[in-house]
Amino acid sequence: MKVIRRVLLALSVASAVAGVLRFKGKGVGAIKQGGWRKIIDQK
Amino acid sequence: MAETLAVDLQNQILVHDSNKIVANRLASRLGKKRQVVSVASRFDLNSATIAVLAGPPPHSSLAREFIEKNISVVSVSDDVSDCTNLLALDTLAKNHGVALVVGAASSPGMSGLLARSMSKSFDAVDEVHVALHGTGGPACARQHHRALSGQSVGWHDGEWIRRPGGSGRELCWFPEPVGAYDCYRGELPDPLLIKKAFPELERVTARVSATRRDRVFARLPQLIPPQAEGGMGGLRVEVRGFRDGQRWVEVIGVVERVGQVAGAVSGCVAKILHHGDVKLAGATVLGDSALPNEKILHDVIDSGVQVHAFVRA
Repeated sequence: MKVIRRVLLALSVASAVAGVLRFKGKGVGAIKQGGWRKIIDQK
Repeated sequence: MAETLAVDLQNQILVHDSNKIVANRLASRLGKKRQVVSVASRFDLNSATIAVLAGPPPHSSLAREFIEKNISVVSVSDDVSDCTNLLALDTLAKNHGVALVVGAASSPGMSGLLARSMSKSFDAVDEVHVALHGTGGPACARQHHRALSGQSVGWHDGEWIRRPGGSGRELCWFPEPVGAYDCYRGELPDPLLIKKAFPELERVTARVSATRRDRVFARLPQLIPPQAEGGMGGLRVEVRGFRDGQRWVEVIGVVERVGQVAGAVSGCVAKILHHGDVKLAGATVLGDSALPNEKILHDVIDSGVQVHAFVRA
């Protein structure tokens, strides 16, 4: 019983940490230097 | 592809598909505008002058049959071994005096055209790096699945290197609305074909975007059937070399449905061959200096494919 409780506690702590990292982590933002320019065909 | 051909081509376009319903639907849709598109049996195709192989790979055995009947072939195959087998038909195509264009799709295909176009602004080019996001039809999605579990090939400082698919993560920026995606090595034919077009290159790599789920399940059979048409895709080609004695990098990107790009590229190549703008015999790839790459790229852009260049701040 004690083992099961410890496993459950470890799992819940791990999932909480993973959740925080997943939703509060630094995501990829927009390009800060430069950008895309559409190429217009010049025949 | 048939739509691209039907825009200004006056000749008869024969459509053949293993699924007759699909072929009939396509012919009736395009036939309303132009009375040049009709459904044909496999036997009827023997009367054609150019065959565009737009179905799932392998194309090599079918290409051989057409070449032996003196029919030029444009293949959209994106399978490494199939592309190698197609290139091996070079002598046969030369003997029959017909052209065989290998990898005339988005990646490979458009990637070679863009690399050649960008190389004009360099004094010397030594690296080309390609990244692809998205898939076209179901066959393309299945190929993407296989690519992540296969062995990627890349040209690195004078030798071919093999690395496991799904490795080598790199964050690649595609033009909006696609944005940034993690891309990984995959079993893609781009390095083989781009190296053929640019023998002077020292490094060539190709990557494909993938999610964690794609990478985890890549080694298992594709259990969920792919969608009929993928969403918005992206292609990014990075060329490195020297300009005015300095190291220089140019990046160019395409945002469009991958199938749409592949159709436009293969259609434009077929039109160039049909108009006789270039007299080719043997196997070739897009980006090869023997082809009118600029003309093909102009035609592809004219057909509605958006190309964007990355500009520094």
